[in-house]
Amino acid sequence: MGLNYYQIKKNILRARKLVIKGTNAAGSGHPGGSFSMAEILGCLFYKHLKFDPKNPQWANRDRLVLSKGHAAPGLFSNMAVAGYFPDSELETLRKFGSKLQGHPDLKCPGVEFCGGSLGTGLSYSIGVALAGKIDSKDYHVYTIIGDGESDEGQIWEAAMTASKYKVDNLTVFLDRNFLQQDSYTERIMPLDEKLEGDDLSEMWKDASRWKTGDKWRSFGWNVIEIDGHRVEQIDAAITKANATKGVPTMIISRTVKGKSLEHMEDNPLWHGKAPDTDIVPIINLELDSQFMIAPSIIAGDMTNLENEIKKCVSGRSDYIHLDVMDGQFVPNKTFDHSKIKELRPLTVIPFDSHLMINEPVKHIQDYIDAGSDIITVHAEVTDESSFGEIHDLLKQNQIGIGFAINPDTELPEWSYKFISSLDQLIVMSVVPGKSGQKYIEETHTKMNRLNSILKQYNFSGYIEADGGVNLENIGSIFADGARAFVGGGAIIGQQDVRIAIREFRDEVLKSRRGTLLDKANELGGIDLVNKWIGLHVIGEKQEQIKKIAKEAGYI
Amino acid sequence: MNEPIMTDMRSEYTKTLIKVGHDNPNVVVLGADTTDSLKTSSFGKEFPNRFFNVGIAEANLVTVSAGLAASGKISFASTYAIFLPGRAVDQIRNNIAYPSPLGKKGLNVKLVVSHGGLSVGPDGGSHQQLEDIAIMRVIPNFRVFIPADTISVSKLTHLMANEYGPFYMRMARSKTPLIHSESQEFQIGKGITLRDGTDCTIAACGITVRMALEAAELLQQEGISCRVLDIFSIKPIDNELLEKAARETGCIVTTEEHNIFGGMGSAIAESVSESYPVPIKRIGAQDMFGESARDNEVPLLLAKHGITSFNMVKQVKEIRSKKL
Repeated sequence: MGLNYYQIKKNILRARKLVIKGTNAAGSGHPGGSFSMAEILGCLFYKHLKFDPKNPQWANRDRLVLSKGHAAPGLFSNMAVAGYFPDSELETLRKFGSKLQGHPDLKCPGVEFCGGSLGTGLSYSIGVALAGKIDSKDYHVYTIIGDGESDEGQIWEAAMTASKYKVDNLTVFLDRNFLQQDSYTERIMPLDEKLEGDDLSEMWKDASRWKTGDKWRSFGWNVIEIDGHRVEQIDAAITKANATKGVPTMIISRTVKGKSLEHMEDNPLWHGKAPDTDIVPIINLELDSQFMIAPSIIAGDMTNLENEIKKCVSGRSDYIHLDVMDGQFVPNKTFDHSKIKELRPLTVIPFDSHLMINEPVKHIQDYIDAGSDIITVHAEVTDESSFGEIHDLLKQNQIGIGFAINPDTELPEWSYKFISSLDQLIVMSVVPGKSGQKYIEETHTKMNRLNSILKQYNFSGYIEADGGVNLENIGSIFADGARAFVGGGAIIGQQDVRIAIREFRDEVLKSRRGTLLDKANELGGIDLVNKWIGLHVIGEKQEQIKKIAKEAGYI
Repeated sequence: MNEPIMTDMRSEYTKTLIKVGHDNPNVVVLGADTTDSLKTSSFGKEFPNRFFNVGIAEANLVTVSAGLAASGKISFASTYAIFLPGRAVDQIRNNIAYPSPLGKKGLNVKLVVSHGGLSVGPDGGSHQQLEDIAIMRVIPNFRVFIPADTISVSKLTHLMANEYGPFYMRMARSKTPLIHSESQEFQIGKGITLRDGTDCTIAACGITVRMALEAAELLQQEGISCRVLDIFSIKPIDNELLEKAARETGCIVTTEEHNIFGGMGSAIAESVSESYPVPIKRIGAQDMFGESARDNEVPLLLAKHGITSFNMVKQVKEIRSKKL
């Protein structure tokens, strides 16, 4: 489909919700492993995979083999989003007469492999890839295997075979979520090293202990190691894999089982269990409340922006905010597209180019060519016609579409018709033009006004808060509806960007947990509040949530 | 009976595969380090890009074959019997038999094995597959053949290449006597009446067919008219032919180099008990494993399990007294 970063994320969210819908309706199924590979499937379905939902047997289609077949709800949900069948089909999951069987099955047109018995999908994929080579077809085979699944000896039989036959039209993802049915993989059958004690997070953090990549390298594979929840890393890895000739590629994707729901994350209990009906609305709200945090590099050392980018990378920022100022629309001048182009090769982290310039329509192509992932232009310097042109150009180039309003600007009426296709709306909470200003409190009430308009016109992008965001106010800005946060001095100005971002994240989480507690209370009173809190059994979460619930007077 | 002409099933199999490979570019052949023994390596010489040797990895062999078949190829995967149904039943079931593209049943994979039964000889009990028919018979979508001679092998290989779907064919290790004529027709689910008779039926498959014919000859000398059937198609089985035999001869002796549980004898008993029940005696391994025997001692090993023409004669005489 070739969607942009934001649209891919949007589809991944929709698919996650369908996993919840399907497993809840079925009363069983495997949400944990469906969520750990959600971003992998998203990048495949909405960017790289060649397929035609109207003609599932199209001879030149790319093949997607889900070897870890128990994660079928994840596959089916994405197939629905991709247009193979309506979303409502997920309600038949695992039921008598449904084509959506408990495990992927050819009964469902578009499914390539009957998964279920683990360890076999890789061998199967080799057969499919070899057939493509015999027939000189240029389709590619993408396969997803699990880490628990890698206990199976056949995986390693296949690893040797793919290498021997130089099956370079095969790319495999290892969904490395560190969990299998019984417990942690490193306890049941270590792929890296045997886990002593219970702290899985130590395995996750300490890259020096990861040995799985070496295993695959020693089998003759091209190995790429990534964070399997970062769309841009998956995207780049696929591109690299497709360009690699003569050897198969293994993309080791470090993931979190149950990713994006706090009570499911890293929790072995959610390997094969469906969410209860009363929890589903809270889950959906949590899924709708995903957020991103980005440093604004102009708050750093303007003479060495390369270094500021490196700080963003090591700080694991979700994206990087680039304030382009022309000295006319705003008094200050920062940099232009040529600088962005210079910075682009330093990282695959998305670039959010915020154009604070006059007549953006004249320059938009330069910023596209510079490698921006999303480009935001200001309401003050566009009109229906020029924004329409920008909108179309960005769409054609699969770039995110952003729109910004200054503190004194209301959303112009002419822009309403574009609202549903916006990927981002920046609500400036300082007067643009320089960093280091204080958050304008009036923005809170402005956000309230905006929310009703955005809802009315089906906005489905991110509201980005830009200006004066800090640890004290980020929680309330989240509560206003912002889902992307730009931090200037409060992030990039800090000694350790990674810690600064984590602190921002913790504050947003705190606010989000409060919202979710409110929702639980609204739907089911104290019983549901307690039930939801009780689901959080991993790590310190439960104690932290209880504290918030106490402060809110629920318990 | 005349001294039989002895021919080699494995050579015939590969000879046919090469012919079939020339006729149909979609035919691919896979092996697991037994390709010289099975002779399939010569297919690889003829068609190097359609031949895959995956090493000693039978599970992988089965599943790679399935993947090729799912992408339009006709996969022939071969090794010894003991290493396919005996080892990779999960892959056979879940990767070949179960996946059914719309309107089809199973994937287009032919598992053709050598070294079936006791006649494997010196390698001993670990290599003598006496359970494969039982295993393969209960897997839906699979059709199961045991050819009696090289003419059967050739005809059935052609048939499998032309007929969509999963097949299992078990060949013997040693050379086998020619039974059929070149003009013999082979159809799925149709047994072959090799000799007519009215007093009893011996139903055989594989290397026991020749013994059954010898037994019938001996019985003839004692005035007993014995019908002999080659039940090469064990699944589907020829219900019609078996019912007719039951009705017309009143008793059936079955004979095979397989455990009497679950093999051809069981399949015949199941069929006849539903159509026209008559006394049946199953000759075969009596729920025992095999053991080593040098080639010239194989008859002794078979005799230990009652797989001889003399025992067939004996059983025919006994079962006739139990006729209803």
